[in-house]
Amino acid sequence: MGQSQHTDYFALFALQPTFAVDTAALAVTYRQLAKDVHPDRFANATAAEQRQAVERAAELNDAFQTLKSPTQRALYLLRQQAEMPEETTIQDGEFLLQQMEWREQLEDLQEQADLQALERFVGELKQARSKIDNAFALCIEDPEQRLQAERLARRMQFLDKMFYEVRQLEERLDD
Amino acid sequence: MALLQIAEPGQSPQPHQQRLAVGIDLGTTNSLVATVRSGIAEALPDVDGRIALSSAVRYHADRIEVGHLAREAAASDPYNCILSVKRLMGRGLADVQQLGEQLPYRFQAGKSHMPFIETVQGPKSPVEVSAHILQALRERGEAALGGELTGVVITVPAYFDDAQRQATKDAARLAGLNVLRLLNEPTAAAVAYGLDQQAEGVVVIYDLGGGTFDVSILRLSRGVFEVLSTGGDSALGGDDFDHAIARWMIEQAGASSDLSPSEQRSVLQQACAAKELLTSQDAVAMHYQDWQGQLSRDTFEQLIEPLVARSLRACRRALRDSEVELSEIESVVMVGGSTRVPLVRTRVGELFECTPLTDIDPDQVVAIGAAIQADTLVGNKRAGDELLLLDVTPLSLGLETMGDLVEKIIPRNTTIPVTRAQEFTTARDGQTAMVVHVLQGERELVSDCRSLARFELRGIPPMVAGAAKIRVTFQVDADGLLSVTARELASGVEASIQVKPSYGLTDTEISGMLKASFENAANDKQARALQEQRVDAERLLETVRAALKADAEALLTEQERAVIEERMSALDAVRHSNDVNAIARHVQQLNHATNEFAARRLDATVKSALAGRQLNEMEG
Repeated sequence: MGQSQHTDYFALFALQPTFAVDTAALAVTYRQLAKDVHPDRFANATAAEQRQAVERAAELNDAFQTLKSPTQRALYLLRQQAEMPEETTIQDGEFLLQQMEWREQLEDLQEQADLQALERFVGELKQARSKIDNAFALCIEDPEQRLQAERLARRMQFLDKMFYEVRQLEERLDD
Repeated sequence: MALLQIAEPGQSPQPHQQRLAVGIDLGTTNSLVATVRSGIAEALPDVDGRIALSSAVRYHADRIEVGHLAREAAASDPYNCILSVKRLMGRGLADVQQLGEQLPYRFQAGKSHMPFIETVQGPKSPVEVSAHILQALRERGEAALGGELTGVVITVPAYFDDAQRQATKDAARLAGLNVLRLLNEPTAAAVAYGLDQQAEGVVVIYDLGGGTFDVSILRLSRGVFEVLSTGGDSALGGDDFDHAIARWMIEQAGASSDLSPSEQRSVLQQACAAKELLTSQDAVAMHYQDWQGQLSRDTFEQLIEPLVARSLRACRRALRDSEVELSEIESVVMVGGSTRVPLVRTRVGELFECTPLTDIDPDQVVAIGAAIQADTLVGNKRAGDELLLLDVTPLSLGLETMGDLVEKIIPRNTTIPVTRAQEFTTARDGQTAMVVHVLQGERELVSDCRSLARFELRGIPPMVAGAAKIRVTFQVDADGLLSVTARELASGVEASIQVKPSYGLTDTEISGMLKASFENAANDKQARALQEQRVDAERLLETVRAALKADAEALLTEQERAVIEERMSALDAVRHSNDVNAIARHVQQLNHATNEFAARRLDATVKSALAGRQLNEMEG
């Protein structure tokens, strides 16, 4: 089971390590691979074999989740190249103002309880997100731009957090 | 053993011998057992032709009765007739007392905080009561199939938490069943529906049973059933409709709500009958003591509207989590007896903007799906595409951190099996122990989540605060059951638990119950254990032999092969002896010796699967 720690997720799916991934094709490969390693294939096996199947299937699931999510994929690519510094050490003044602006908007939306305004806000976030994704796809290919790629990945993480909070708000408004 | 036979996935090692497997739907109100015979999945009836077994257990002084007779006696013998026990599974006494006013039992706390019900045969845990129901179904299955069952698949609500799943598995163990898998009820329904209709695309399963509600959104694609999200309420069902009617009756009659247990039962029976009549009638006559009145469908719908709304909230949440658009949904399938209520059908149709499918039998579909999965799992080959179910965790799992907060490690709706690790550090200089508190739920505060277990990691070498690195690993297996390991990385100190929840039975309690149930059959039991162990040994030898023949040359060194062969002959030498422990020990040793080999074979298969796919794509 030791070797599982070194499994290259891209190689597992027979993909080149790039940011652009066809997620529909990824899902097809995933289902194919799952058919071979899922514990259901080993329901009659010995305990040791079943444990191993669980490990393998968990690893496959993790690989799939990592490559499916653009943010996780970006972080994975960066970590494959070199270790990532702690979150707090990256300076990103440009984005900071934008962050604060969105936070304020979200707070206002919480008070307004206006679902349509919330939807517009989500649209805005999605647009910002796709810009970041496009920029990252270019930066990650250029070793000179490593620092900018790291910054963009942190922006993705921030946006994920915003989407999560929007989801929480939607749920509260729904209750 | 299948791992060593992956060259032929899904194929039985003994192709001529059909293995006996059943699927069990252990329901709040009714339970069913189904099996696949000659390629056709069907529910098995009892000797009188009844398919549904009432999930009711009556304790007499000298015997135990399971089924409709036990249910019918509930009003006359309320303390000894246990109904809807599923609602008590994996629950603490405090949880149960919240439902308390409505349950006519006398509870007492067991050692494990599980609520024991006082009966004429002494205190009984919900796990034991469930085991009696499973035992009855097991007997029915064995009688119909003419032999001992190799394994069973038991369905549980998708929204069951770890404690409720563990309790179900414990009940199966008490009933002497080999559980191949705990399967989520909506997933089982999707299998039955999907295979029957050859459906593809996104399907919603709305499953409202007697006591639990689930909704699952799945993507069906060539035999793969991938759950995208699930949601629900493990304490919402048709029983709650009955209780709502009962409260209304008592209010209308101007009676005190402090009823005797047998009055409670008889009011609930009348309420349940009224609910059923209102699916086809506009009004029902009712009476209680001197009061006589009418319950119209309108009034009934007003009474249950808040309950239905609760289920719709869970649907909307599941829809958001699934990240599919409303327009992508191919069909909405109604499962569970309570979806017969017209208001439920209307509201679900409005939400998903389509007419829900009600043409499959909502009572049998879960058991049928479980039977199909059981048949696949024991290795009986099925025609066409191979079946694979990919399920998710219904609730987020996390750890308590500073400030009574929960740090989520595995978010809800993550595909299982899953392993996730998180690193923590010490808060004080010289700290040598750490408490790991595992929680399940969506809220941020510890007090708002369900406590699953606490365990302690001791023997951390003293270091300055923040220097120790403790990695906590969560693993959720394919049954949705959690185990947690904690390890200090510098020293390697390790603590591990199979999460035995705060509300589960202790191991001592279980072994006590097992002992009691086997007391009379002690010799049988021993003989059976020996027999099982011998069969195990034989099967293992056979599969290793086949695996060596196929792959030893490519995957093993001479020396590795020699080690395996040595263990094989050691096992071969003891397997006909009467020493169960020796056989078991050698089986384990051989297993251990083949671990690495099995892993390499698995890798090879994955590689070849991938290669095969690429080839196909190039051709296409």
